[in-house]
Amino acid sequence: MLLQLNHIYKWVKQGGKRVFLLNDISLQVEEGEFISIMGPSGSGKSTLLNVIGMLDEFQEGEYNFLDESVHTLKEKHRSKLYKEYIGFVFQAYHLIDELTVYENIETPLLYKNVKSSERKALVADMLDRFNIVGKKDLFPSQLSGGQQQLVGIARALIAKPKLILADEPTGNLNSKQGEEIMQLFKELNQEGVTIIQATHSEANAEYGNRIIHLLDGSKTKA
Amino acid sequence: MLKNYIKIAWRNIWKNKLFSAINVISLAIGLSASFVIGLMVYYDFSFDTFHEDGDRIYRVVTDFETPQGNYKNGGVTPPMRIAAKEQLTGVEQSAYFYNWWISEAKAEANKQTFKDPERIILTEASYFDIFQYKWIAGSKATALQQPNSVVLTRKRAEAYFPNMPLAAVMGQSLVYDGTISATVSGIVEDFDKRTDLHFNEFISLETAKQTESSDQIFGDDWGNTNNASQLYIKIAQQSTPEQIKTQLATLSEAHVDADMLKYNNKRTFNLQALSDLHFDHEYGAYGYSDYEADKGILISLVFVALFLLLLGSINFINLNTAQAASRAKEIGVRKTMGSSKRQLVLQFLGETFLLTLIAALCSVVFCVLALKAFDSFMAEGIELSLMLTPWFAALVVVLVIVITLLSGFYPGVVLSRFKPARVLKGSVSSSKEKGVLRQVLTVSQFAIAQVFVIATLLVGKQIYYMMHQDLGFNTEAVAYLQTPWDDFSIDKRLVLEQELKRIPEIQNVSLGGMPPASFNMATRMGIFKKDGQELIQELQILNGDTEYLKLYDIELLAGRPALNDTIEEYVINETGMRAFGFKDPEKIVGQYLELNSHQRLIVGVMQDFNQRSLKDKVMPLMLTGDTSRDRRTNFRTLHVKLTGASSGWQNTIAKVEQLYQEVYPGEEFRLSFVDESISKFYKQEQRIATLLNWATGLAVLISCLGLLGLVIHTTSRRTKEIGIRKVLGASILQINALLCTDFLKLVIVAYVIALPIAWWGLHQWLEDYAYKTEMSWWVFALSGLGMMLLAVLIMSFKTLKAAIANPVKALRTE
Repeated sequence: MLLQLNHIYKWVKQGGKRVFLLNDISLQVEEGEFISIMGPSGSGKSTLLNVIGMLDEFQEGEYNFLDESVHTLKEKHRSKLYKEYIGFVFQAYHLIDELTVYENIETPLLYKNVKSSERKALVADMLDRFNIVGKKDLFPSQLSGGQQQLVGIARALIAKPKLILADEPTGNLNSKQGEEIMQLFKELNQEGVTIIQATHSEANAEYGNRIIHLLDGSKTKA
Repeated sequence: MLKNYIKIAWRNIWKNKLFSAINVISLAIGLSASFVIGLMVYYDFSFDTFHEDGDRIYRVVTDFETPQGNYKNGGVTPPMRIAAKEQLTGVEQSAYFYNWWISEAKAEANKQTFKDPERIILTEASYFDIFQYKWIAGSKATALQQPNSVVLTRKRAEAYFPNMPLAAVMGQSLVYDGTISATVSGIVEDFDKRTDLHFNEFISLETAKQTESSDQIFGDDWGNTNNASQLYIKIAQQSTPEQIKTQLATLSEAHVDADMLKYNNKRTFNLQALSDLHFDHEYGAYGYSDYEADKGILISLVFVALFLLLLGSINFINLNTAQAASRAKEIGVRKTMGSSKRQLVLQFLGETFLLTLIAALCSVVFCVLALKAFDSFMAEGIELSLMLTPWFAALVVVLVIVITLLSGFYPGVVLSRFKPARVLKGSVSSSKEKGVLRQVLTVSQFAIAQVFVIATLLVGKQIYYMMHQDLGFNTEAVAYLQTPWDDFSIDKRLVLEQELKRIPEIQNVSLGGMPPASFNMATRMGIFKKDGQELIQELQILNGDTEYLKLYDIELLAGRPALNDTIEEYVINETGMRAFGFKDPEKIVGQYLELNSHQRLIVGVMQDFNQRSLKDKVMPLMLTGDTSRDRRTNFRTLHVKLTGASSGWQNTIAKVEQLYQEVYPGEEFRLSFVDESISKFYKQEQRIATLLNWATGLAVLISCLGLLGLVIHTTSRRTKEIGIRKVLGASILQINALLCTDFLKLVIVAYVIALPIAWWGLHQWLEDYAYKTEMSWWVFALSGLGMMLLAVLIMSFKTLKAAIANPVKALRTE
């Protein structure tokens, strides 16, 4: 088992009342799964992904990742944990505008203190794999959306994570580019990477082997 | 990692060119000022720091307390020379020297004469025990044993005996003032480090017995203090200055003389540490140039530098925290990639460091230029070579590090605090951030600038006031010509006076001492007996012939001038009259006053005029003629009143010079205009004014740059709001007002804070002046208005552009 959420609650106060962003979410994810989270805007998809990715906190419940109980960890340890095991892919790509393709992909390795020679080899492999060697010195603004997302995925994969969290990875892409990206996720999943994606699209959700439906922060039966 | 940081830092700097430029310029101004001022401070504090056991070397000085005020003298009484050797315990060595002023020295070997050679002292061998020189020839044991022997420094030897090997200079003879000869018995290296003991010629003290100064050196009068008589002691290792001071106090008590008791004067001997020599004006060093080190000025300079640095840092903090939103995404991404807060703070510090480094490099260049530009403002010895010292390198490194931390740390912490989950959702970008700190910083920045502006205006006003205030005598179109001081006779001067009177462009000529206001004033004690009581008053003595008062338009209130130029009759000024208890000028005329135990007649009363700068009050003063003409004349200056337009004066002066050269062939022609020489009284003030002008200019510049940056930032952030308001029908002016008000509020708050600070500070400063300009309300109002106007101008530069822009475009970009 990769991770387990037990009765997670997350809320914000608005006018003295609690508004629940996540309402009693329990979830168990095994290694090698490909999970799609579906639901309308504001249903809590991104929040759930952020909680799983340890970028966001929650008020109640338990979260175990591998054998660590995340809710009791200090931020330092948490960041160590997700640095090691989790890669993120965003709808808006979120590449660093001031860095080239090569440097963007390299960044996670820098924070993991990987040696220079090793970094070079790993980034070169990744560029090769995604067929973007020719673009390595370009800046994000010089790429199309599909290419940027490709770089985003390459960056998420570079640190060899066990889990990829993808928040509407195809939301900003046209259908053809979107299909390519989803195909790529499928291949990655077949190689053993666990993937959790949030999506609006039924078609994209079908790539997963399990679909979770969210509405107003709660899990619903499809 | 580091490479990555530098890369991204550089790209960020390059991307935000305008903000980077503002940051670099602001920091560079602060740094340049710090570098230049650092050099000045270093220069002045590195005097006489190289002497062996310098911390044990002290100068014996004399303090006086009199009813007229306290003053200090850097010299000692003659008997102290012996007393220091024989009666003080705990003194390892003592060395006496007499600062000797002569009019010429002649090298016998080449028959060449040197006019006014300076830096000559008459001293004893122990001088060379306290101050270690490197001996090229001769030895300190024997060189000054014999009378009529002299030790030269290498430079002096080379000047006196050019083209002669130093070995051959030994045994050469020199003749001083045509009468006293001395044989070169030693040659030493000049001190190669900074020192105020910059003497070049050391004559054995015994030689002084042949000079007129003999009494001043070998006399046994404890009541006579001459600042040419200098005494240095090196206290023993186990002794303390306090112990010596106690003994000195005993000595001064044992030798109180009758006059001191009579005039209620108190004299104490004191010790001055060698390290204070360079800074203390009251005791004085051995200045042969105009420059005076002043701890007060140095300290204010350091404050100016600190303020400018602070202002630069404030810009940096303001602009970077304001821009934080635009960096938010990068921070969010980096955090999800696994960066820790510490790593982010380090990254921003790195960026700051890079910017600061660029600023520092610019500053080094500015510093070179500034040293050239301010040449006249700074001491001669402050040169580019000082920038090559390790001290300067250390200053640069320390400042760069301190500035980096000061300006980079806070923005770094602010930025690294962003929560990635929120940032990446895009919720930080245009939310209402409080920016309280930014407002506080902007306010303090403008408050500092405002204080500077007010100070500049008021100091300028005071200087203008002092320069244009009526001193009580005519200063226009009057020049005075100084004649050679080593000519004691009146004859040539009378000849010159007659010749000058013949020039038609000269309205009047008067022979006398110095002009009514000058640095040089002789004083005497006057005793007035009235109703069996003795009134004792210090009086300044001015010498002038019968034309003197007329030439300077000084009004005679009662009585008459002296009958002729040599009779010892006195005209007293109003203040002097009042000091002796008279109210009616007519009453004091015909009274006698005791001067130097003689009864002297007061024949007239003249109106008051200022004898010194307007810093000082009018002092009691008397005018008399050439009372000691038979020994040496006091009429050494010719005062000339010119007529016609000032454009023609050049010709007149040329004629005067020609006549002067006929009477005094080969002598230096020293003619000055009275108004110009009066402006020299205010040299210190002029220096402060120059300094303030620069400080103000730079402070205002930095603050305005910062304001510009902030305005650009806010207007771009409020583009959407501006668009909506315009669509709803707001006019350009309304929008401009809306954008400016927020900042204008800050400038006004700054003004309110600055006002009392400036008022108090300037009030303190003006306390030093006997005659002060008014602290008019308009100075304060004007500087406030000026500042606001400037702020609005700068803001409008950007806000108007934003207001004019097509709203449709603004709305589309969102």
